[in-house]
Amino acid sequence: MNVEIADLTRRFGRSQAVDGVNLQAGPGVFGLLGPNGAGKTTLLRMMATVIPPTTGRLRLLGRDPGAHGPRREVRRRLGYLPQNLGYYPGFTVTEFVEYFALLKEMPAARVPAAVAAAVERVDLGDRARAKLRTLSGGMLRRVGVAQAIVNEPELLLLDEPTAGLDPEQRVRFRALLRELGQQATVVVSTHLVEDVGAACSQVALMDQGKIVFHGTPAELTARGTEQGTGDAPLERGYTAVLAAARSHAVARS
Amino acid sequence: MSSPPDDVDLSRAWIGVAAQVWRRQPGRLERAAARLLRSPGLARALLTTPSLLLPWLIASVVVLAAGAAATLGSGQPVTALLAPAVAAAAIAYSYGPGIDPAWELSCSMAVSVRMVLLARALAVFAVNALLGLAASAASAASASGAAAAVTFGWLVPMTAVCAFALAVATVARSANAGAAAGVAAWLIVVLSGQVASGHFTAAVTDPVLFLPYLAIGAGCAAVALYATRIPRGTSR
Repeated sequence: MNVEIADLTRRFGRSQAVDGVNLQAGPGVFGLLGPNGAGKTTLLRMMATVIPPTTGRLRLLGRDPGAHGPRREVRRRLGYLPQNLGYYPGFTVTEFVEYFALLKEMPAARVPAAVAAAVERVDLGDRARAKLRTLSGGMLRRVGVAQAIVNEPELLLLDEPTAGLDPEQRVRFRALLRELGQQATVVVSTHLVEDVGAACSQVALMDQGKIVFHGTPAELTARGTEQGTGDAPLERGYTAVLAAARSHAVARS
Repeated sequence: MSSPPDDVDLSRAWIGVAAQVWRRQPGRLERAAARLLRSPGLARALLTTPSLLLPWLIASVVVLAAGAAATLGSGQPVTALLAPAVAAAAIAYSYGPGIDPAWELSCSMAVSVRMVLLARALAVFAVNALLGLAASAASAASASGAAAAVTFGWLVPMTAVCAFALAVATVARSANAGAAAGVAAWLIVVLSGQVASGHFTAAVTDPVLFLPYLAIGAGCAAVALYATRIPRGTSR
């Protein structure tokens, strides 16, 4: 298993962002669904080693990222696209991707070919030498994906990767996700259920810091056959599971 | 034009061509820094430090040259009073969450943000110390004895002011806040010296102050390290 999480929690002051999450994920595309504020981004940030958990056990790629040496090794083999990708306006597309390839400690001789391959995979070859300040929001998102995949990561964490992409690009991106998921563990945080239905083999649904559903997209769809609202079957499953989880939480309290 | 043979992978060939066409050739300085730091990533991060870019360096040289000229004209060691403020601003703009738009992403990199901060802060301090020393040396020869005496004296207060600016910049996650705090603190120290002793230069000439300066420098460096600390162990 590339991701092993047990009883993971994260607090920010009095707010419990992640509350006792248990999760395991191997190679494949894993969708992390949930409403805004459910704790998806916080969970992803802990998996990206950006912030530590408050309590619980986290193992990534068979290592404990709490220790310096293993964390550095995990980071070399990790790809991460944050929800808000900050960028350097004066850098070109290739300079930006190269910069993060070097910070991931890729061997310098391998970097130019890896950068070219990553830029081509996100269909930005024609803008490779364009300054980032001249790109659209969707293009910047693809630059973010390119830096995330430049080291051919074994664990790829993408937070809202399709935000800002046009429908054609989203279709292509889902194909890229499926391709990447053949080798690596790809965790995609999103609130777009159609992305999950099209690209993910496993899905977890988060609400109020907890995982309230874990299964396949087909199983999530099946939960919405009798109740749930939405235009698509997966949306009905999503709303039905959320409604059941919230009524269960109210009954317990 | 004939079609390529079936066993030629055109996309792979194109990637090879694109890699050559798009590749950035590191300059001599970057290659030397990579050898010295034993990390091409750290070297690249160092060479992109905002306060080590040419426009910033030119501005620093202009300010210190003006200080040296004023020292020569007035006999007052203006350079010694300017150098810590210039360095504090440069340190605040060297690195940190307030100056790096991709800070979140940088926090997930194998080359840690603390290493980048350390390399950049040391480089910025060294460059500013050299610029300040050059300005002091240029003005000390023909200036008063007091100016000559403080040619090196300002290095200690500069260390404290830089550490303070760095600590504020990392804790407040704002380079502007760090620069403002560093310059303001130095201004207060200089004006206090004027009130207490009647001399602007008291802030850099009074040896009694050196120990407090060093203590402040060490304390602020500890604060900056804490603010950029590596996450603690996760296994419970």
